[in-house]
Amino acid sequence: MSSRIAALAVAAIVIALAAAQDLYPRTPLYHTWQYALALAIGLTVTLAYANGARRGNDGTAGKRLLLAMAGAVVAGLAGLASGLLGPDTATVAGTPETVVPIPALAAAAFFGSADADTIARGSAGVIVRRKTAGEIALAPSARRILGESLLYLEPQPAAYVDAYDERGAHLTVTQPTNTAFLSPVLLFRQRQRIGALDVPFDTFATPALHRVVRALYFTPRDLAQFNRANAGSKEPALVLTAADDAGKPLGITLASSGSDVSIAGMRVRATVGTYPALAVASAPPAWALLLGVALFVLGLAWSALPQGS
Amino acid sequence: MLRFVVIATVVFLSACYNAPDPGKTADVAGPAALAGAPARSFDVPRTDGRIDSVARHRGQVVLLNLWTTWCPPCRDELPALQRFARENAGKVVVLAVDQGESASVAAAFAKQRGVTFPILVDEQQQYGRAYKGIGLPTSVIVSRDGHVVKGIDGAMTLEQMRAAVAPALAQSAPQRRRGADM
Repeated sequence: MSSRIAALAVAAIVIALAAAQDLYPRTPLYHTWQYALALAIGLTVTLAYANGARRGNDGTAGKRLLLAMAGAVVAGLAGLASGLLGPDTATVAGTPETVVPIPALAAAAFFGSADADTIARGSAGVIVRRKTAGEIALAPSARRILGESLLYLEPQPAAYVDAYDERGAHLTVTQPTNTAFLSPVLLFRQRQRIGALDVPFDTFATPALHRVVRALYFTPRDLAQFNRANAGSKEPALVLTAADDAGKPLGITLASSGSDVSIAGMRVRATVGTYPALAVASAPPAWALLLGVALFVLGLAWSALPQGS
Repeated sequence: MLRFVVIATVVFLSACYNAPDPGKTADVAGPAALAGAPARSFDVPRTDGRIDSVARHRGQVVLLNLWTTWCPPCRDELPALQRFARENAGKVVVLAVDQGESASVAAAFAKQRGVTFPILVDEQQQYGRAYKGIGLPTSVIVSRDGHVVKGIDGAMTLEQMRAAVAPALAQSAPQRRRGADM
């Protein structure tokens, strides 16, 4: 009886470990040897009990529990294969309105449009289009399984920049160092060390005024460390440093999200928020997990029925 | 029991396999990469206040030109673009889309230079992002069925403009619905 309970507990843990890859994908744990070892031990214990039960060591209830053990083995093997054989979680990043091919999935990711509101709300989505099947639209909170891959969106720091001259005329914002030259959306893919802080930054230009602006992204916590006057802030903000074409410094200012600030003869409004990157994680196929859970539940229910039924 | 341990060990050791990383891809950059793709379209105001877009000219060949008033190559290209628009009136729609500037700035510049084709004012730079502008000017030829025929980075001469639209003009016009004009 005690071995049966122990085996059932181990089988349930095996299923939970495999299902965790789909439910909590944001961890590299699944590709570690410790995770694989835990699943391998769990599967070994489950199979050992099943082998004894098949020979009648645990009576009729034990034989009926073979179904539950089979479920745990299906889910566990799927989880083990995914953890061991699947690629590490990869992040596919794209600028708004661009398409990034994902050869390993025979698909392409279409990164959605982004205006200031979209960035502030973090509501931009990504559409994954496949050559041989329908498209998958991913909203910020959605997760979808594609074959043996789990797709989900990871919000990344972003800011939408509007710039105006002193007369209030809108200025073109360019990003000469990025692939999206004509995008006013900063994605902060570079990092800069400032003392103990490692701060994401991006650069934009306003060629009409010959200004180059570096925008450093500060989380509320970083901001409090950087400037004690902002210790109570709950929103991320940008520190803008402007220079002319020749690199001559023209000023520095703190820009709260959505507020206009004056710097180097310009008025700049930066709407700070997030824009998604597409994360591709390996995951057990949904059918294997569903089959495993179904068999486990059925086996448990069957074993609980009176003998002879 | 030993059998199961062996199986578990074999599976465990297969960790040596290194699967390809799906994230190792890069943005496909530049307007030239758009050939064959559906032409993106956004409703934006023209300098005369009317709303216009690429999609509103479906059925016609469109030369979309992304530009700004501060861009020297754009200014250099403008006379050729003006002449091209005149000589292809009725055959090719020229849409010049100002990137990121105010309507007043674009309108004053167009008036000063005697531009007669429509100037669209795209303050949010939506066309620039969608058409992968890596510099200015950027030109995109859109076929009658709404697909990108060619994307060109940099200023073009009149001859280059003629050559760029020739394949789109050579494509047969979309079949009209029978009796539609009756």
